[in-house]
Amino acid sequence: MMSSPRNLACHAAQRTLLFAASLVVPSSRRADWWREWASELWHIRNETTSLQSFSTEAEAAVFSFCFGSFRDAQCLRREAGTQAALVHSSAWRCVYALALALVFCVLVSRLLPGVRAEQEAAHYALRSGLLLVQSDNQQSTSTPVVTASQYRDWRSTQQRYFDGLAFYTSARQRATVDGLGAYSWQVAQASANIFSLLGLPVQMSDGDTAASGDIPAAVLSYDAWVRDFGADAHVTGRIIYMGARQVRIVGVAPCNSVQLPTHPDLWLLDSSDLTKISGSTRGFLIALLSPLGKYVSSSMDGRMPIGLNGVNDEAWNLIGISLADQDQGIWPIAAFALFLALLALPAVASVSLSESAFSSHRPTFKRRLVRWTFLVASSLLVIGIALFASLIVAYAWTPVYSPTAEFAQLAAGFTFTLLGLRWVILDQRKRCPVCMRHVTHPASVGSASQTFLGWNGTEMMCVGGHTLLHVPSLPTSWFGAQRWLYLDTSWEFLFADPFAP
Amino acid sequence: MASEPRLSHTAALILQAINAGHVYGFSIMEMTGLPSGTVYPALRRLERDDLIRSQWERQSIADAEQRPPRKYYKITADGRKTLESSRKRYPLLERLIPSEEAKSAV
Repeated sequence: MMSSPRNLACHAAQRTLLFAASLVVPSSRRADWWREWASELWHIRNETTSLQSFSTEAEAAVFSFCFGSFRDAQCLRREAGTQAALVHSSAWRCVYALALALVFCVLVSRLLPGVRAEQEAAHYALRSGLLLVQSDNQQSTSTPVVTASQYRDWRSTQQRYFDGLAFYTSARQRATVDGLGAYSWQVAQASANIFSLLGLPVQMSDGDTAASGDIPAAVLSYDAWVRDFGADAHVTGRIIYMGARQVRIVGVAPCNSVQLPTHPDLWLLDSSDLTKISGSTRGFLIALLSPLGKYVSSSMDGRMPIGLNGVNDEAWNLIGISLADQDQGIWPIAAFALFLALLALPAVASVSLSESAFSSHRPTFKRRLVRWTFLVASSLLVIGIALFASLIVAYAWTPVYSPTAEFAQLAAGFTFTLLGLRWVILDQRKRCPVCMRHVTHPASVGSASQTFLGWNGTEMMCVGGHTLLHVPSLPTSWFGAQRWLYLDTSWEFLFADPFAP
Repeated sequence: MASEPRLSHTAALILQAINAGHVYGFSIMEMTGLPSGTVYPALRRLERDDLIRSQWERQSIADAEQRPPRKYYKITADGRKTLESSRKRYPLLERLIPSEEAKSAV
């Protein structure tokens, strides 16, 4: 039997009301909620309304029933919100969120070429006992002081303190690569043994190309390879034109965190060229200490005075600066940023965790252990996030090492670590020592005009009914820091706590 | 110390109605005279506190009667204990909605 149009319209309007109310219900419970209310609506209409005749009174009763669905939906929403708030403030959920943030930062940082290069650099450590020889009155290591004739003289005399010497001169030159264009590179003319002396194996070395003779060999720096060749894996064998001269790329220098003076982009490893250059040309001398030299230098704090007599009995006063001391890399910078942040932390947050309590009651040893475990875990996670986030900030726009990136890493690492550790301490202070959830429902207590008669400040309570936290608004000599008031079990009936520990 | 929940008069009335055999929302509304906006939220809270349990009617039964299935509510053991203490607190409860046992005793 057909319903009247007015009945149909009312039924449609009532279902629309239910549908609107269902949108308020949390999605996880919506289907069940809708099924129940739709079913009840059908039954109510079946019992109170008639198909043939329209009754305003009956329809009003059904509409009244449908309006009640909004209140039901609101209750479910409020209940879900309370549960979400309780779960949200849970300590382990916080650790979980921090761990996710850390994983995200690690994954993003690993996608950045600059970070990958720096991590790769850590695999290629310099040999120990390497010294950069400088004049003893020279402050800057980027100024060449050793002449080619000094190097030749030194190399030809017997050494007790050194096992090997390498020399290079450096100048900016215009270089052209077929198919890529012209570059202004810092080109180093180096002795052939420089990479073996440094202990850095040349990457993608092509022995056949190197041995092929008439065209001199050259090694690209890692930075130039990434920056100008797009990290092309087939770069070996390509010809570089520098004026009338041609050189062939025989490999790529490994990425290394130690930046030799002038940061050469291209290394020409033809020792015969080095013998041809003028004796007065100044360059950089790198020396490898012998075991005796290491023993002597061990007590000299990274700077070893070198007195040298040339073949003509000239006396040179030089100084050897340990290259190991220049080793930066991302990890030492991160450690330094962490050290600075720990130093600065007391300036931005009181490092006391305010364990004082009104009563002699204390949480159990297990609860205290959980509290400290949470503090350590969240601190470590925050430090990790700060480290990798600082790498993202530093290397987001630079694919290779640069002093700017290093500075950005240090600045960002310091800032993130400092703010992160401050947040950890403040967060820990607001967590109930019993259940580790945030205390809530702040209430103002006392009157500021009666500070010396009774405390005034903010009182917060644990939603599980374990503690009250009293934070003075004006620290006094008798109430300087926040205090916990532990509630006994007689308070439990006041707190409905579905997440009690 | 685990204590029994102390029910409001309305919640106790609804629990008494379920105990008396009014096992779905509309029936409880009819028996108690309470509006839907009071009955259904109270049912959610009672179920959350494990005083009642809900169960959907089997689809085959509803199909046989050509109607949608209903959601039925049933009092639990905890609910009975709570109802007992609520009856002491609200003595008129059983007079307003006599339970099956009380009816059979009469």
